[in-house]
Amino acid sequence: MTEKSVEAKGICKMYKSLLGSSTTILDNISLDIEAGEIFGLLGPNGSGKTTLISIFSTLIYPEAGSLFILGMNARRDKGEIRKVINISTAKPNFPWSLTVRENLRHYGMLYGLYGSDLSRTVDDQIEAFELGDFRDKRFEDLSTGIKQRLSLAKAMLNHPRLLFLDEPTTGLDPDISMKTRMLVKRIHEEENISVILSTHYMPEAEMLCDRIAFLRKGRIVAMDTPRNLKKHLCLGERVVISYQGQADTAAIEKLPGILGLKAQKGRVEISIDRGEESLDQIIKLFSGAKILDIDIKEPDLEDVFIELAR
Amino acid sequence: MNWQGELNKFLASAYKNWIISRRNIFTIFELFFWPMISLLSIGLLTRFLKMDDSMVSFLLVGAIALTILQVAQIDVAYVLLFDMWSKSIKNTFIAPIKSYHLVFGALLFGILRGSVVFIILVTVSRYLFGFDFLVGGLLPVLIFLAGIYAMAAVIGIAVCVSILTFGQKADVAAWSLSGLILLVSGIYYPIDVLPSILQTLAKAIPLTYFLEYYRSIFIPGPHHLIWGASLAAFYLIFGLIMLDRAIERARKTGILLRLSE
Repeated sequence: MTEKSVEAKGICKMYKSLLGSSTTILDNISLDIEAGEIFGLLGPNGSGKTTLISIFSTLIYPEAGSLFILGMNARRDKGEIRKVINISTAKPNFPWSLTVRENLRHYGMLYGLYGSDLSRTVDDQIEAFELGDFRDKRFEDLSTGIKQRLSLAKAMLNHPRLLFLDEPTTGLDPDISMKTRMLVKRIHEEENISVILSTHYMPEAEMLCDRIAFLRKGRIVAMDTPRNLKKHLCLGERVVISYQGQADTAAIEKLPGILGLKAQKGRVEISIDRGEESLDQIIKLFSGAKILDIDIKEPDLEDVFIELAR
Repeated sequence: MNWQGELNKFLASAYKNWIISRRNIFTIFELFFWPMISLLSIGLLTRFLKMDDSMVSFLLVGAIALTILQVAQIDVAYVLLFDMWSKSIKNTFIAPIKSYHLVFGALLFGILRGSVVFIILVTVSRYLFGFDFLVGGLLPVLIFLAGIYAMAAVIGIAVCVSILTFGQKADVAAWSLSGLILLVSGIYYPIDVLPSILQTLAKAIPLTYFLEYYRSIFIPGPHHLIWGASLAAFYLIFGLIMLDRAIERARKTGILLRLSE
């Protein structure tokens, strides 16, 4: 039997105020994550992604539920778990006046590295994450992108078996975001580790994740592969037709397999469920018009997100 | 894990505090300016009041003890304060470390800084006020310093517990606790002059007994060093247990996350 990265059953988390009122952050979360997977946690702000990652990484404890990380009990064996996991947080923060190298040395020491092993590991991470030009720069003088790379380098110091990435590209420029995603992919492939990633960038989840759980108001509302999620939600393909003349849009809407339609002057956007079969019938209804352009788009996770976040 | 790896978990906090202190120009105030102000003002007061040698030694031992205590205790508190100020507390508490790694690592650096301050103050008090702090020999000095450093660890732990329990605003405790110690543990006056309720409190503070012990070298009299050392050991163990509980509670309440935001 293969070991699972995470086995969570009935995880609940609530925060109590000083006056005694409580807010539920996570409500009955149950999921299994296989070893070697890149698993995505998606959801709007405040959906509980960071809290769930913090619970999985043993940083905070749930009020209820059972949790096993890499086959170990998250409460009883937390010390052992912390040796083989690590995290890169959203908005990475480190002691300001320590340089890149000093920060990595400091955290390496906290993981029990010493002597030449410590120096070699620090140098390896500096090289792997292309931090050589910044090794002697203080954290407070680094750009957001370099801070993020430092955070990833720190997360790899102990060669974790399970890596948590909490919104790793938030606030980064598009090109740096893409570089960071490539880095994550490379780490996953080269180090053969499991990755749990939270994000609200759909292209990131689509590019990296084997499976995804959508969170909304502290609950999992959907969990599957990106492909299956799109399929099961019946989002269909989007066909955009630009035309001149008259088209019978009311008749299009009545065709079988039409999931939705938005019509403007000279342009109609149709969601269809049956691919080319429906498309032939749609085009027939444009016989009195001149079709200028047809654009067919596969649904993406953005559509899934919008659908599920409703 | 072997002993070198375990040792490095302790040294990690000392390493961080050392680099931050080295790069902070205001460290000079902590190490030189305030200690000198404290010693000079008390020393000059003894001159003005034309005190005899025993009174001078009474006050200067108190002034030196308080200054070292303040320097060392803030270093222990810094282990969490630096993380809190830089919002990096998550990174520390996801690592496989125990509370004692943090406390004793930071205390190690506190002992180093406290010892530098001690050497400066002892030298200055000898040449400016003719007070020979080391007259009793090395062993009493080491016992006295050990007592102060144990007390510094206890105060530093109390500050860390406050931060983890009440959040960011509790860092004011870092600057207040040593003031309370000053009031009740007989730094500048014998505890006999305190109201009876404060005398009871003074007797519960280990520093009171370490001061009594070291002053007995200059002003012969009874002391209760063993009781003071036992109290210090008790508070240290109790403090570490409370810190562990505070960390666990902060994980339950989620305050660890809020301290990183």
